Amino acid sequence: MIMLWAVFLPVLAGVLVLALKDMEGNRRVLTAAFTAVLTAEAALVILAVMRGGSVTLWRLTDTITLGFRIDRMGGLFAVLTSVIWLLAGIHSTAYMKHEHDERRFYGFYLIVVGVLSGLDFSADLITMYVFYEMMTLTSLPLVLHELTKEAVFAGLKYLFYSVAGAFLALFGIFFLANICGDLQFAAGGILTPEMAAGKEGILLFAVFAMIVGFGTKAGMFPLHGWLPAAHPVAPAPASAVLSGVITKAGVIAVIRVVYYVVGPAVIRGTWVQTVWMVLTLLTVFMGSVLAYREKVMKKRFAYSTVSQVSYVLFGLSLLQPAAFVGAISHVIFHSVIKDALFLFAGAVIVGTGWTRVEQLRGLGRIMPLTLAFYTLAALALIGIPPASGFVSKWYLAAGALASGTGVFSVAGPVVLLISALLTAGYLLPITIQGYFPGQDFDGREIEERNLAGKEPEPAMLIPIGILALASLLLGCFPGPILRLAQAIAETVF
Amino acid sequence: MFTHLMLNIEETVSMILFGIGFTTLLLHPNLIKKIIGMNIMDTAVYLFLAAKGYIAGRMVPIMSDGIQDASAYINPVPSGLVLTGIVVSVSTTALMLSLTIRLYERYGSLNLDRILILVKEEGKT
Amino acid sequence: MSFVQNFPFFSIIIAMFSGIVSSVISGKKARNLSLAAIAVTTCMSAAVLAFTWRTGESYTYMMGHFPAPWGNEIRAGVLEGLVALMFGVVMFISVMGGLDHTEKDVEPGKLNLFYIMIDLMLSSLLALVYTNDLFTAYVFVEINTIAGCGLIMIRQWGRSLSAAIRYMVMSSLGSGLFLIGLSLLYDVTGQLLMIPAKEAVAQIAASDTYVIPMLVILAVISVGLAIKSGLYPFHYWIPDTYAYATPTASAILSGLVSKGYIFLLIKILYRVMSPEHLMEGYTLDVLYWFGIAGMMMGSIHAIQEKDTGRMIAYSSVAQIGYIYMGIGLGTLGGTTAAIFHIFSHGATKALLFISAVGLYEASGGERDYLSLRGAGYRNPLAAIGFTVGAMSMVGFPMLSGFISKLLFATSAFENTGKLLPTLIALAVSTTLNAVYFLRLVISLYRPERKKVGGVRRDSWNLRLAVVCFILLNLVLGLFSQPIVRAIGQGLEMFD
Repeated sequence: MIMLWAVFLPVLAGVLVLALKDMEGNRRVLTAAFTAVLTAEAALVILAVMRGGSVTLWRLTDTITLGFRIDRMGGLFAVLTSVIWLLAGIHSTAYMKHEHDERRFYGFYLIVVGVLSGLDFSADLITMYVFYEMMTLTSLPLVLHELTKEAVFAGLKYLFYSVAGAFLALFGIFFLANICGDLQFAAGGILTPEMAAGKEGILLFAVFAMIVGFGTKAGMFPLHGWLPAAHPVAPAPASAVLSGVITKAGVIAVIRVVYYVVGPAVIRGTWVQTVWMVLTLLTVFMGSVLAYREKVMKKRFAYSTVSQVSYVLFGLSLLQPAAFVGAISHVIFHSVIKDALFLFAGAVIVGTGWTRVEQLRGLGRIMPLTLAFYTLAALALIGIPPASGFVSKWYLAAGALASGTGVFSVAGPVVLLISALLTAGYLLPITIQGYFPGQDFDGREIEERNLAGKEPEPAMLIPIGILALASLLLGCFPGPILRLAQAIAETVF
Repeated sequence: MFTHLMLNIEETVSMILFGIGFTTLLLHPNLIKKIIGMNIMDTAVYLFLAAKGYIAGRMVPIMSDGIQDASAYINPVPSGLVLTGIVVSVSTTALMLSLTIRLYERYGSLNLDRILILVKEEGKT
Repeated sequence: MSFVQNFPFFSIIIAMFSGIVSSVISGKKARNLSLAAIAVTTCMSAAVLAFTWRTGESYTYMMGHFPAPWGNEIRAGVLEGLVALMFGVVMFISVMGGLDHTEKDVEPGKLNLFYIMIDLMLSSLLALVYTNDLFTAYVFVEINTIAGCGLIMIRQWGRSLSAAIRYMVMSSLGSGLFLIGLSLLYDVTGQLLMIPAKEAVAQIAASDTYVIPMLVILAVISVGLAIKSGLYPFHYWIPDTYAYATPTASAILSGLVSKGYIFLLIKILYRVMSPEHLMEGYTLDVLYWFGIAGMMMGSIHAIQEKDTGRMIAYSSVAQIGYIYMGIGLGTLGGTTAAIFHIFSHGATKALLFISAVGLYEASGGERDYLSLRGAGYRNPLAAIGFTVGAMSMVGFPMLSGFISKLLFATSAFENTGKLLPTLIALAVSTTLNAVYFLRLVISLYRPERKKVGGVRRDSWNLRLAVVCFILLNLVLGLFSQPIVRAIGQGLEMFD
């Protein structure tokens, strides 16, 4: 029951917010209710995950049922999602003051978190697909929010890429539904070689289509084009969750397909694994290079997401326990870090109106504390010990070396290293220029607009602070996360 | 080959007629000729059916002179089909003609291609 | 013999007689009579369905008690009952939804003509579903054509008239081919009733004679019915016909009429032709590949189209392609999927046409999809209806379109040779569908740039029709299993 509440409470609340026109003038009640629902959602999800269990919703056909079941993998993602959603939501109550159509934003923001918990709790591939599609459609208004030409274009791009990806995946689902019977998730896969006898070629093709299809949401090359367009045009808190959490929905979908339905053994050593590794490494490298060249702050973070999420996918593609642990922990760390970065961008935009990286010179005079939090998160993303990114990358590299995938076991760590250097190259200049603008820096604008020392308001600053500190602390004490990831890894291999 | 065709001269002719009618209906731009084509096509089928039902040396299937023996008459079913078919084709023709009149009153042309152009122009304004 | 067994014949004749009576009464009365006739026949179809479901076998109904080679037969089983029921339901909701628009679009004083056409349409559709006689089928095919043409030309637009003449020409070509096909079949077998014809065909197949004539017959009949139902290369009459008729007519033409012909084709393929001829002649393969071509090209045309009505009409071309693909698979599952898609597409496409009307009106009569911008705020219910229809066409789970896609995909596994092309075609065409439907839906929900005049609120009957169609879609999507089982059982007792 609790898990149903965790899925449907935010959806109902969101629909209610959208339906109640009177809320428009009553900002205080609106934000209070919004925060309350998000807090309740986080609590419900945690409770539901602790309880576990399963529930069947509907029998669609004789073999296909819609239902929820909480396992460790889904529970991990659900808790991560709801907590981050709460933090970004608190930030948004301050950020959205400066935007139009607050009510619509809150409404859809609530609906999406319900849909995402549904996705994480799904007991089988069909249910997951249902929620996956709903997630695309309900998160679209967040991208479209500004309703500028650019936003609409980005929204359409987002929609078409997502839909194309989802239907590539649907092709695979249809195939698997026929050879597996039902598609209930089970750790290690439900497919046995006898099921696919005579159809191995098509099976591999279908699995590949599903990886590429679900990989769309995770920004994997070749269907990554929407991500740098769609994430930056949304309001900053939405960008944060789009980049930090919704990309992970693509990741969990890929995990479910590869590790919970097909089973890693089926694709190990086949062309699918090889192509997958090539694609992810390409994405890692390309994302970093593009981020390095990008001058608009939020776009830079978005390209960084392209690169970082493919770290996770690369870890998954190795089909090796240590790399799997690295991938899972990187999911958590990247969510935390990337949300901190985007919320930082939101605070900067609200406080100063600056959007381009070169404008950020001297930011340290305006909001030194916020910039310090940013620096913490940036260091964690680069992977400087003891911050969190180091731990996951260490496992990824170790896994790659032990994976026995020939040239990739060496090429992988090399690409990761180059990408880490690029990450430092595109994140740290903001810190350096912010605190040490140099001799030629002209601080007149800061004085004229009376910006000096103006930290963002607490509702923005506190989430950024929590996330930034978390990115450091999770790296110092990674034990619980690693143990959980290892426990999952033991079941799937 | 040729002797076969000559032996079944009615069928051969009806197939040729069907082809003529079909092509006219499909390709001729003039609406009246299209309708004529349709009638040729239908008539070809009736000819075919009637030829199939005919048995040399027998009578029309109308009971007369008290002859009860079925072997004295030709097969009546195709004749019945032809009659039904004629009714159908008459009504279709009537409908097509009425449509043609409407179109002619409106656009002053019987050429379908021209009418379609006029319709498009009308739609733009 | 049970009284219920008379119902198929009764329903055909009731529909026909209400058409005749309508010619001498006023338009309003004709309308009520027509609605009553549809309601009564629908109930009768339901009774037939229940009866055959309970007895578990289909029955043959001899008209005038003449036995097989001479008489005229009706045959009813679970499948026929189900299809007739579905046709009746969709027809009733479509007529009800378009009541006001019909009165607006039809010349004053000619309203009863429109309802005569509706009655004739109903009776011919029912006859096509129930008849077991090839020549009767031909006659009702022609009646159907005439009624369809009447429904289109009743709206005195130039575009409707030209669409009507094109429809008439293409339909006549199709009927001509069908007629010559069945004459040839009669020539070869000497039978017009389907069951004796099947025995004769089986003998011919066994004796290995008349190979080429049988192939020609099969090809001519298939092509004739394919033209009439608008399979891809013969589709060019579809867009204008569906897009410029009055809403009721659009919904009925796109949702039902082409399906009547397809059902007839299925009937001929499985009740008359022998499996040997089907397999050797590659007819099914040809239908299959044309179907796939239709799925692709219909969607591509729809993407290029700006006019909403024509876009939906081109989507019909694609959906007809799905149905032919299912038939072309040549398996039981494929045919089941095709028949389910007949239902699903009938319900969905009628919903799209009916709700699109509400959107046009809310946008000052504009039909261009860019002009529909913001219509979702001006007419929320119509927009919701359109969105549901679009989602169903795209294949969103829990709606009917998803189930038909699932059935198509499942049935492809019964025919390994066509497995990969089917799955790829499904995936690609689904994506293409999504492109143009979602583009339109987004346009509906974009905030309006300027105030647009137009009706904000539809009449109650249009709104009720939209709600009914949405429910029908949900029912087909959520409770598909009984329907699929019924189709399966119907197909077993089919030949």
